[in-house]
Amino acid sequence: MPLDTTPLVGLEHVYWGILIVIYPYLSGLVAGSFIVGSLAKVFGAKKFEPLAKISVMVTLAFLLVAAMAPLADARQPSRFLELYSRPHVPYAPMGLFTLIWTTYVLLVLVETYFIFRVDNIYLATHAAGWRQTWHRWLTLGSRDTSDATQRRDHTVLVVLAAIGIFLAFAFHGYIGFIFGALKARYLWSNPLMMPLFIVSAIVSGIALMILAYVGIQGGLVGRKTLNTEILDGLAKLLMWVIFVDLFLDIVELLNSSVSAYTNEAVYEGFHTIFMGGPLTFMYWGLQLGCLILGMMLTFFRRLRQSPLWASLTAFVVLISVFAMRYDTVIGGQLQPKVSQGLVAYALPWLGRDSVQTAVGIFGIVVLLLSLQLLLLPWESTWIAVWARGRGRMAKNEEAPQ
Amino acid sequence: MDNNNIPPAEPSGGESDRQHDEPLATRGQVVAKGVALGLGLAALSLGRQSGRAQAAASTGGPHLDPTANMSWEGWDNPQLQVQDGWEKWQTILNPEHLPIYHDQFEKIDVARPRHHWVMVIDLRKCVGCQSCTVACKSENNVPLGVYRTWVDVYQEGRTVPDPAGDIVVDGRRYQMDVNVMNVPKLCNHCDDPPCVEVCPVKATYKRQDGIVLVDPEVCIGCGTCINACPYGARYMNPVSHTADKCTFCVERVDQGLLPACVLSCVGRARVFGDANDPQSDVSRLLADYPHVVRHADLGTEPQVFYIGMSGEIATADDPDIQHMVFTYTSNANSIAATD
Repeated sequence: MPLDTTPLVGLEHVYWGILIVIYPYLSGLVAGSFIVGSLAKVFGAKKFEPLAKISVMVTLAFLLVAAMAPLADARQPSRFLELYSRPHVPYAPMGLFTLIWTTYVLLVLVETYFIFRVDNIYLATHAAGWRQTWHRWLTLGSRDTSDATQRRDHTVLVVLAAIGIFLAFAFHGYIGFIFGALKARYLWSNPLMMPLFIVSAIVSGIALMILAYVGIQGGLVGRKTLNTEILDGLAKLLMWVIFVDLFLDIVELLNSSVSAYTNEAVYEGFHTIFMGGPLTFMYWGLQLGCLILGMMLTFFRRLRQSPLWASLTAFVVLISVFAMRYDTVIGGQLQPKVSQGLVAYALPWLGRDSVQTAVGIFGIVVLLLSLQLLLLPWESTWIAVWARGRGRMAKNEEAPQ
Repeated sequence: MDNNNIPPAEPSGGESDRQHDEPLATRGQVVAKGVALGLGLAALSLGRQSGRAQAAASTGGPHLDPTANMSWEGWDNPQLQVQDGWEKWQTILNPEHLPIYHDQFEKIDVARPRHHWVMVIDLRKCVGCQSCTVACKSENNVPLGVYRTWVDVYQEGRTVPDPAGDIVVDGRRYQMDVNVMNVPKLCNHCDDPPCVEVCPVKATYKRQDGIVLVDPEVCIGCGTCINACPYGARYMNPVSHTADKCTFCVERVDQGLLPACVLSCVGRARVFGDANDPQSDVSRLLADYPHVVRHADLGTEPQVFYIGMSGEIATADDPDIQHMVFTYTSNANSIAATD
């Protein structure tokens, strides 16, 4: 382990950098996309049924990486097993998060098994070569595709989705609580932190599902297969959740920016950082501006149903949510605890906790998602190609008819 | 004196008043420790002369290699007697295997601990010489750029125009209406420490005698405790890559010695002792003088008490009330938030 040569000029630093910014961002995407995928099963919104498989794959890819970001931020990541063996319940927010994350990973893995079980059995008997072996392995020995077992699968999936929605709230709410529990940081120590994080997580998750639907279904299977009803429904849902998110943002703004309503430290910190300070544009322009822009774009039916405009809306909303994470994590640490002025922070391009690491984390997400697209039977036309591809396997994978 | 209550062989009786009439460490031991420390410091300075600490570490064997020796001291450990247990930090930090607490700190009082170490800082006596800062860095091998204790200098009030003032600038007369206050800052070893509760691996803990410590072999370096400390007392050790902080010089306290900062304080502004002993200096000071703690509003129950501290400094760092004129913590002030 080399000596840390980053310049240390004082006691106060931004200890939680860009990796802790993308940690709640990724987790929010997980929680949100899972909730969207569960809409059909738990809330009976049948028109979202085609999203279920894409949603599970997106959730799994982001979920596996979500815990990687704080681990990459920790200075001694090789000691991660301590997170499971030390008695940290119930007072350590990050410790409890580890348990919730682990449960969540197990739940999504089980859900992945059941949602792909029938298709895996089909491929295990109809495909050839390594793909047959692979899908035979994925079935875990199950060969029964009778109606009774499919009904059982559905029941299991509904139960899992219901538990999963609860876990999604716990998962992301607890991330908000990791910040909200630190009373030393005035801009974090706020009971709004938990609902704010949960609602913005759902906002970002819906936006991600719009992008994933357009990108995966429209881009890989064919633009014609895109269902405008689904796009319209997702965008409408996005609009309603943005209403709640904006409401919470305004409540937070009222509670932090008016000196008559809040204590001196919160007021001072909010004003010096977000009103004329280093994160002014990040807050007003990106966090609030992009959210309002995205909300206005969802008002028009033609824009909601256009794959291009719906994706653009989703992208704008994702920028807003990322800015919200940045403002919360970095902004909260710009307020000094024992000195005066503001703590300096410059995002490094290379090295630990830098743009490079952040891009790498997202790269892992893309890799995991691509692997799942190639290795899981998520699309019926692809399944047909894989089943027919005896002998000339893998050739036709990326060019379905 | 409570000599009857404590067996004389008990190694952790370090009340400052007791040292005068009954030193627990024998003269020979103290001399041996001094020689060892001196040799260590000499080795350290030799290492500096040779150019790089890393180079010294690589030539000094695994003992001096920070990657092989993740002890509490950090890096370039002085060559202390390894067979005396200096390598086993658990033995050093907790010789009697006192109970430690990760939460439910109210149980400490119920357990009726023998000692409760506290520090009283008399700001009327502090001259802001930073001797404690230097002594702490030397004693604890604190790496460059980080501090376990430091002295911030505040200025309250303004230099105001006054026809009868004795300061003449450009033909105008001014009068100093200023109160300068030197505030030594360190870990408060809170009775209800938020940093300990939030640790996800419970690497940090509160000892039964009140001292809050970090286990550098368990800490994953996530930084939660650093953000959770309202006093900025924790830092990320750039050598061991774990959270680090003031230990009240626990290895000295356990041997009956005073913390390095207390020993080196030229004005005797820092007083260390056992709050459970009603005859100790700290108990008498706390009984006789009004005192405050930093950020009493946060409910952390700090155990470092200040005599003669302004209430504003104890609660908020508001530049409109008091102006910080010198601090080690100002890495920033890059944005003109202060006047």
